[in-house]
Amino acid sequence: MAALIILVIAASFLSDRFLTPANLLNILRQVAIVGILAIGMTFVILTRGIDLSVGSILGLSVVIYAGLLETHSMAIAIPLGLLVAMAAGLVNGLGVASAGIPPFIMTLGMLSFARGLAFLYTGGTPIPILNEAFYDLGNDYLFGIPIPSLILLAILAVSAIILSLTAFGRSVYAIGSNEEAARLSGVPVRLYKIIVYVIAGGVSGLAGLVYASQLSIGTPIAGQGYELDAIAAVVVGGTSLFGGKGSVGGTFLGTLIIGVLANILNLTGVDPYVQQLFKGALIVVAVYFMSRSGRS
Amino acid sequence: MDKILLEAVALTKAFDGNVVLSGVDFTVHAGEVHAVVGENGAGKSTLIKTLAGVHRPDRGKLLIEGVETTLRSPRDAIAEGVVVIHQELSLAPHLSAEENIFLGHFPHTRWGLVDRRRIREHTRELLKRLMIDIDPVRPVGELSIAQQQMVEIAKAISFQAKVLILDEPTAVLDESMVSTLFDLVAKLKTEGIGIVFISHHLEEIFRIADTVTVLRDGSRTGVSKVSAIDQDWLVARMIGREFPIHDVQVREFGSPALEVSHLGLRGTFDDVSFIARQGEIVGLAGLIGAGRTEVAKAVAGIIRPTSGTIKVFGKAVRLRSPNTAARFGISYVSEDRKTLGLLPNRSVLENATISNLARFRKLGFLNRSLERRYVKGAVKRLDVRMSGPDAEIRTLSGGNQQKVLIARALAVEPRILIFDEPTRGVDIGAKSEIYSLINELVRSGMCVILISSEMEEILRLADRIVVLRRGKVAVTLSRDEASENTIMRAAALAE
Repeated sequence: MAALIILVIAASFLSDRFLTPANLLNILRQVAIVGILAIGMTFVILTRGIDLSVGSILGLSVVIYAGLLETHSMAIAIPLGLLVAMAAGLVNGLGVASAGIPPFIMTLGMLSFARGLAFLYTGGTPIPILNEAFYDLGNDYLFGIPIPSLILLAILAVSAIILSLTAFGRSVYAIGSNEEAARLSGVPVRLYKIIVYVIAGGVSGLAGLVYASQLSIGTPIAGQGYELDAIAAVVVGGTSLFGGKGSVGGTFLGTLIIGVLANILNLTGVDPYVQQLFKGALIVVAVYFMSRSGRS
Repeated sequence: MDKILLEAVALTKAFDGNVVLSGVDFTVHAGEVHAVVGENGAGKSTLIKTLAGVHRPDRGKLLIEGVETTLRSPRDAIAEGVVVIHQELSLAPHLSAEENIFLGHFPHTRWGLVDRRRIREHTRELLKRLMIDIDPVRPVGELSIAQQQMVEIAKAISFQAKVLILDEPTAVLDESMVSTLFDLVAKLKTEGIGIVFISHHLEEIFRIADTVTVLRDGSRTGVSKVSAIDQDWLVARMIGREFPIHDVQVREFGSPALEVSHLGLRGTFDDVSFIARQGEIVGLAGLIGAGRTEVAKAVAGIIRPTSGTIKVFGKAVRLRSPNTAARFGISYVSEDRKTLGLLPNRSVLENATISNLARFRKLGFLNRSLERRYVKGAVKRLDVRMSGPDAEIRTLSGGNQQKVLIARALAVEPRILIFDEPTRGVDIGAKSEIYSLINELVRSGMCVILISSEMEEILRLADRIVVLRRGKVAVTLSRDEASENTIMRAAALAE
């Protein structure tokens, strides 16, 4: 939190355009997709897992929305796209929790598999989306706030309640802290691990919804590499890769820190290649300081 | 048999003013098997560690082949030819026997490459000499535990070991493996190697050892040629002191709460039967590896038995998971706090309530104030000392962690509570509090199953004691029949 405040103060000195409502809302819209993915990722990482397939599941859902919208209404396209995303998450969950495949390997496989499905579905050519209402979803405002940002905030609120106030959420932390102890305490470890991957998949489908509507095109390369941005946001937000420690609130802050940094570098006209260096350094430095303060 | 390889004179060692070894003399001759026996905490492992260079004695001296020597590290000891074979073996499982034997001192060809041919020849020769029958090129991870032990012993011999210390080598072996190991030990004797043999199984002492040293409370209470003594002689010197009278509380026992009949798990335990009634404490005694924890875990739904039945309050049940067991009112406090108990980076509160979150819900959501109320009550009842319910549990002492885990077990409102080594690694204050809690629980009608390796604990608390030996019930003793002597005999001796 302190890091974000310092960053915001520094940013407002570096550019007078930073602290304008329009710019701040712009940041909130820009971080929406990765922010949503990162929240799903937080659930998985809290159980001491990892999900490398969220970018590919996003891409798969994007082409399904686009393909179905050619002939069907939103009322059909959106639920089906989400269902496919959740199904991909379910396969991840079954692989990890029932077959005992390490999360890294299972979701690495899904990363390739879901991306392959997206290419197969489109035959490699992007599908344009002409549905007006669907376009508004990603580009319109509600109460003066971009709809993608509202979707992000809604997912954040629901996730925070699930993690802190339900038995399932409490158990997610317990599984990440000591899976065997959780099992002996009667936590349905296998079921909950499956659910966690279904959440990550479903949330990737929601991020795909935002992506497809913002760009109005169903391209099979959508979301490539986003899984690493999501992991970065989770880690900068203070969630331990060793499980059992962290929160979606922290992940949201992590998302904002990375987003604000990118924004200020843009506003001050820093070379995009150099921006990559800053982002890389930020991730390492942030985690270094957190691991030090967490230890003592 | 004459040459003295290793001689320790009046070894004394204290930790934080606590004397764990006091004036112990110990001698190993060439070609001799010298056994060391004693209860847990008698000083056996301190003696071994001092001989192996892990600890340095506060007083006393060590002579190796007549020369006074100071061992600064295990490395020094190995260089002097004193090698310990630990229970946990230190082999690289993916490497073959020959690679393990030469690990760290591979011979080279003149091209600087590892000389595989020389390794193979040396290994075959060594294994043949020791009459060890294993495939030297198979990864050792695929060998049986006994064969792995032999590889480790062969490795020690290839290091020119003169004194081999075998630390409870038979604890992990079954009967046929024990015979093979003893054949190897006999072979080593003829090679002039001195062997120090640690075992809890007294009958093994009479099978293999030439000399035996008995330790009790850090002192040597006896040393003799094995041929001159019998089992009574050993047991008397191991126990020694008079035992304090049990805290006998006359209680009425209720109806049978737990009936275990002919319970078995292939390769682990077999035909285990006992009954525990409401208000009764039934102790499970036996040596490490006798199957006590496994029986308890089967009753707690953690592992599934392959035969036999379990009845809870007269009803036959199948305990598929810890959850099912909890539904039938069975709760388990594990012996292994660290790997099976603690959620290390979560709070005391979360650690205490995780076993029964349904109890702390209102309208589907967890209710912190309900949780707090439960934890507050438990903390007061068990006298847990901590900074607050939100403190991470790993910041607490071992005794206080244990109390929180007991609170967790009590959160499911059990009628049968299994304590597996409830006072392991806790201080004396916490210990007496845990005892009085157990007494309080049985007075209110709870059925308690107690596993303990501490004789004093099991004698003090248990109303009835089921002694297991190598996975079978050796004997069931009433409070009047039970003594350190009768338990030890049943647990460690062959009929």
